Amino acid sequence: MNDLMSSQVFWLTATLVAFAAADFVSRRSRRHPFCHPVLLATPVLIAILLLTGTSYATYLEATQVLGFLLGPAVVGLAVPIWERRALIGRLAMPIAAALAAGSLTAIVSAVGIMMLFGAPRSILASIAPRASTTPVAMEMASQLGGVAALAAVIVLFAGVVGAMTATPLFDALKIRDYRARGFAIGVSAHGFGAARAFQVDSTAGTFAGLGMALNAIATALLLSIAAILV
Amino acid sequence: MLGDIALLFVCLLGGESVHRLAGVPLPGSIIGMVLLFGWLALVRRSRPGLSSATTWLTGHLSVMFVPSAVGLVNEGPILSRYGLALAVATAVSTVLTSVVTVLVFRWTLARVSERGERHA
Repeated sequence: MNDLMSSQVFWLTATLVAFAAADFVSRRSRRHPFCHPVLLATPVLIAILLLTGTSYATYLEATQVLGFLLGPAVVGLAVPIWERRALIGRLAMPIAAALAAGSLTAIVSAVGIMMLFGAPRSILASIAPRASTTPVAMEMASQLGGVAALAAVIVLFAGVVGAMTATPLFDALKIRDYRARGFAIGVSAHGFGAARAFQVDSTAGTFAGLGMALNAIATALLLSIAAILV
Repeated sequence: MLGDIALLFVCLLGGESVHRLAGVPLPGSIIGMVLLFGWLALVRRSRPGLSSATTWLTGHLSVMFVPSAVGLVNEGPILSRYGLALAVATAVSTVLTSVVTVLVFRWTLARVSERGERHA
């Protein structure tokens, strides 16, 4: 029995089954932000770990193939940007300006508020990349001395907040340009925001995907520079 | 298709090498993404296999986060001490970022098209 609990097959299967079940619930809820499959599957798996007395190190080792796939997945983000290069070229100025302003705002506001709460450096490093897409955020967090798991959950939460607030927020600001709306939600709430934007309007979705991909690079760049300076 | 997957991994390996050997502080996967972008710009031919491979990967991104998210099991002390602060900081920062980005985008777009019309 102990052998089974530390076997790769057991934890990989448990993770895939938990995720598939969570994904089913998420689809039934029409992708409600609070029913995100990661949000649902994680507590179930944590409960199984605690019940079986398995250490996280054992679990992580058994499921590392899933994390490994993040590498090629991030590399692949170049493809949608390449396919939209004509669109990007035409709106280069507003895209560049909004990206720089948004990326800086995300980092400075998140880190600034946590500094007011007196958080230590490991927590600041975990929240700093919060606007980038999860694989980038996790990688940047651990590179800066933060906690990758914490970064993942923060990014997820940012996505939920961004997706829920976008439509009322932009309506209140009287912004009807779906290019601006989509790009902003992609920069502030990554793939989550992009998924929401695609539900509203396909132009908004395209610009949200672009905002997400560009902000992943911008956040990584800004934080790498900050790491050298600080 | 296999060649397209190989291309992804060659870019990833290239990115990791630049990250480790040249000491570039960006993550290897991000450098790899830039390398792939460069490759697509240099070698101009359509790669439907690459598109379907990357669409599959990005379509299944969520499940790849699960092992790290489960790592929260070890972060109980941090969460009980800073959980509320983290939630507040994340929510405020997200809303603020949406507002700043959308306003700067609209303002710059208005400036650019104004100038364009004057020249035209």
